[in-house]
Amino acid sequence: MLLLYLYISLFVLTVGTFFGGKYAKPYALIVTGLYFLIFLIYFISKFYTLNGVFNSMQSIPISSYYGFDFSLQLSGFSALLVLLSVAVTFIAVYISGTRYGKVFFGLEMLTMAGLVGLLLSANVLFFYIFWEVVLIPVYLLIGVFGKKNADSISLKFFVYTHIGSVLMLLSFFSLYTYQYENTGTFTMSISALLTPSLINSMPVFWRGFVFFGLFVAFLVKLPTFPLHSWLPDSYESAPYPVTIILAGALSIMGGFGLFGIMLPVISVVPASFSTVLIILGIVSLIYFSLAAMSQPSMKRMMAYASAAAMGFVTISFGTSALEIQNSVYSANYILDVTGGMYQILVHGLIMAFIFASLYYISRSTGKEMIGSLGGIFREAPILSAFLLAALLASLGLPGMAGFVAEFSVLAGIFPEVGMWIMLIIFAMLITASYHIWMAQRTLFGPYNENLGNISDSTPGSSVILTIIMMAIIILGVFPHYAFQLLSSYASGVI
Amino acid sequence: MFFIAGYATLQYFVPELILGIAGFIILALGMFIVSRRLYAGVTFGSLAVAFIIELFFMNNPYSLFGGTILINNFGTYFALLFLISAMLITVPSIMNISHKPEIFYALLLFVTIGMLIAASSTNLIILFVAFEAVSTGTYVMSGFHKTDRTLEASTKYFFTGAVSTSIIVMGLSYYFEATGSFSITPQVISSNQAMLVALLLLMIGFGFKMAIFPMHQWAIDTYDGSENSVSAFLSTGSKLVAFMIMMRIFISGFSGEAYDYYLIFTILAIVTMTYGNLSALSQTNLKRLLAYSSIAQAGYLILVFSAAGFAQDNSLGNTLVYDAVAAGMIYSLVYIFMKGGAFLAMNLSPNPKVQISDLSGLAKKSPVAAISLSILLLSLAGIPFTGGFVSKLFLFLVLIEVKLWWLAVIAILNSAISVFYYLRVILVIYRGQPAEEFRITRLSTIPIVVCAIIVIALGVYFQLFQTLVGFASGLFGV
Repeated sequence: MLLLYLYISLFVLTVGTFFGGKYAKPYALIVTGLYFLIFLIYFISKFYTLNGVFNSMQSIPISSYYGFDFSLQLSGFSALLVLLSVAVTFIAVYISGTRYGKVFFGLEMLTMAGLVGLLLSANVLFFYIFWEVVLIPVYLLIGVFGKKNADSISLKFFVYTHIGSVLMLLSFFSLYTYQYENTGTFTMSISALLTPSLINSMPVFWRGFVFFGLFVAFLVKLPTFPLHSWLPDSYESAPYPVTIILAGALSIMGGFGLFGIMLPVISVVPASFSTVLIILGIVSLIYFSLAAMSQPSMKRMMAYASAAAMGFVTISFGTSALEIQNSVYSANYILDVTGGMYQILVHGLIMAFIFASLYYISRSTGKEMIGSLGGIFREAPILSAFLLAALLASLGLPGMAGFVAEFSVLAGIFPEVGMWIMLIIFAMLITASYHIWMAQRTLFGPYNENLGNISDSTPGSSVILTIIMMAIIILGVFPHYAFQLLSSYASGVI
Repeated sequence: MFFIAGYATLQYFVPELILGIAGFIILALGMFIVSRRLYAGVTFGSLAVAFIIELFFMNNPYSLFGGTILINNFGTYFALLFLISAMLITVPSIMNISHKPEIFYALLLFVTIGMLIAASSTNLIILFVAFEAVSTGTYVMSGFHKTDRTLEASTKYFFTGAVSTSIIVMGLSYYFEATGSFSITPQVISSNQAMLVALLLLMIGFGFKMAIFPMHQWAIDTYDGSENSVSAFLSTGSKLVAFMIMMRIFISGFSGEAYDYYLIFTILAIVTMTYGNLSALSQTNLKRLLAYSSIAQAGYLILVFSAAGFAQDNSLGNTLVYDAVAAGMIYSLVYIFMKGGAFLAMNLSPNPKVQISDLSGLAKKSPVAAISLSILLLSLAGIPFTGGFVSKLFLFLVLIEVKLWWLAVIAILNSAISVFYYLRVILVIYRGQPAEEFRITRLSTIPIVVCAIIVIALGVYFQLFQTLVGFASGLFGV
């Protein structure tokens, strides 16, 4: 029951932030920091054998007749993502100015609590509940604290994600209904509803409906090509801490939906759906990279970069579904799936790094547009070095964590996509080029004298950025533990 | 001997007697002292005493007057709800009712007596008389203050109400023609055309009071025009009386015509909730927005009839009918607090015609009121961890349980639409500078805070449903 108590206490402490007054920020920092350590110790104790399959099911019964209870489960994948989301929230809280007030911190913490609940939930009902618990605070964070047009942008964000979440709820309810038709009892546990046998017993239309609903919900959050238009606006309009939460923590929701919820049924995903996923993934990669290249604002460019990186996740899920159904060697699809999950994990970290360093740069220069910066390496070498490191990590430089993920995905998908892999390589080239180009235009070259004197990194910002950078490098140079955990989860579930 | 036996039955009417005596005391006090606070105190006290008596002493099933009055957990539950809805508006109405307050509070008590009698009656004549007592009282209440707005509200309400009354009476006569009795008991079944006419007429008559789609237009203007606390009362207590009577009449009395009432209510539910939600989307007047949302909520409420009717028609067993009734019961409870609280929150603005923009920047003036109002609106939208979510969840689960899950899909999509207009209000509350004046007093904030706390409490108390399933059998007799 330890996990349950941990989670409930986290939730209660989170709500406490709203009553924190002017101590809300230190309070939130202490709670997130403390819980990061507690979760770390707890997860190490659970997973020291590196066996990442579900090893914990704890529940409080609520309505046994309708089959739902407050139950939590833990897998290697969700454990890593819980650590990520708590850490990203810590970073976001750390860089939030106290001027935002207690409600801001409360909403940030509530987002984290919802996200952790979503990752741990073993029950589709609570999965949906926490999905909503994440959406509403983020909607308010963008809408209330955002910059220009924040109300319409936040509404756009909400419309997209809410349509997704309603479709997801309808999918869950159709699974629930057919499960009841088959067995005569109600259950809402994820492990009972998302099974290949249940889905195979459904009529073709409803099978398609279930997959359609789930895919739309998760692809909106990733986001993937046609469902992305909320993303650049929201990332740009939100204040930096919220952007960090959006890019670092919220982007894992879609990925977790695919690999944490739908992985058990990956073998029955209709082949047409998987093909569409692969195509959408490749299109997203190329389209978002090209779109990023033409952005004048650094924040918007990195928003597109974030979306492009998630293209790997979509591709990885689609290809591994096809590989499993076409009985390719299991080593291939395990590598593929693990690469996709690893990408979700490191993408959150890298994006937190990027937006945190962008925040510090915009704090010292007051500028966000690429054109209004230039050569700031001369005045602020340390900050520039951090941003450069972040950009290199984002483009997938070997030695950084992103490379491990992208390489595994590429190696894993080859049997299925064949020579089309060249398209992905092409997209990676574009990715590398616009990252470098941005570094060249902002950090190097002649100093833009309009900026005047700018201050360099403060000790506080250096410490936090160094910690994130170290984490990225460690995950890149020595990915063994995390990678092994994910791959044992993947092979255990499939 | 007969006198003594009659005396003994009085113990079952102690709550009504207390309320009646208190009402006359207030009227008498009105001749000597003019103090709104005193009247409100007496009203609240008597309602609270009646509440306690109902809660602790009215649990034993008992049948009176040859079965026309039936005391059991189902009726008592609704009696408690009506008492709550009256108590909720007693104190906040001090703010608005300045002209002849004694009449207002006495009326409130008399209306509540009608509600309590309706809650325990299983005879159509008694139900009708009790219902008329409620209607007549609320006509006056909605016209209180005699300004142009309230008079318009009251007039519209009165005329549609009078028409609906005559339709109800006509329906009753057809019911009597078909069954030879005015008592609502499941065994009084005969499938003839008179029964169908009665079904239609009763549905229309009570549908007026519940404000379901084609009979809703008065509600918009009346909720908009009346005093805030009266709107709160009309959209909670008065609407739920009609809902409870309809549950008694249709689920119990018309169980032989289950297919017919299933069909009618399913169509009406779909149309009502879609119409309410779509109309609310474009409103800028906050009270009208709440009025439309209250129509949409009525649409969700009558899904109970679809589920119950479908279960009865396909002989799916009584358990499913009880589940449907219990879903309606839990929805009613949550609905009182979220809707009543939201209407009472209109007291925060001094304007009689509250626009959404009037609440701009409320969060900076009074964070507590802003958070509480947000919770209430989120609950109306059905967002998790609020009572609104729990009640909608059980409603949808019941629909799935009777295999009407396409209807659940429509309801879920509707509830997804509704989120947008509630969130629009919430955003306005938190954004912007407080341009307008607010009336932030204890009277205007405490009721909202209390409602918000109760809504949250109901949102985590899932077990309530199982208790209510046990009460639901009371609908069909002792």
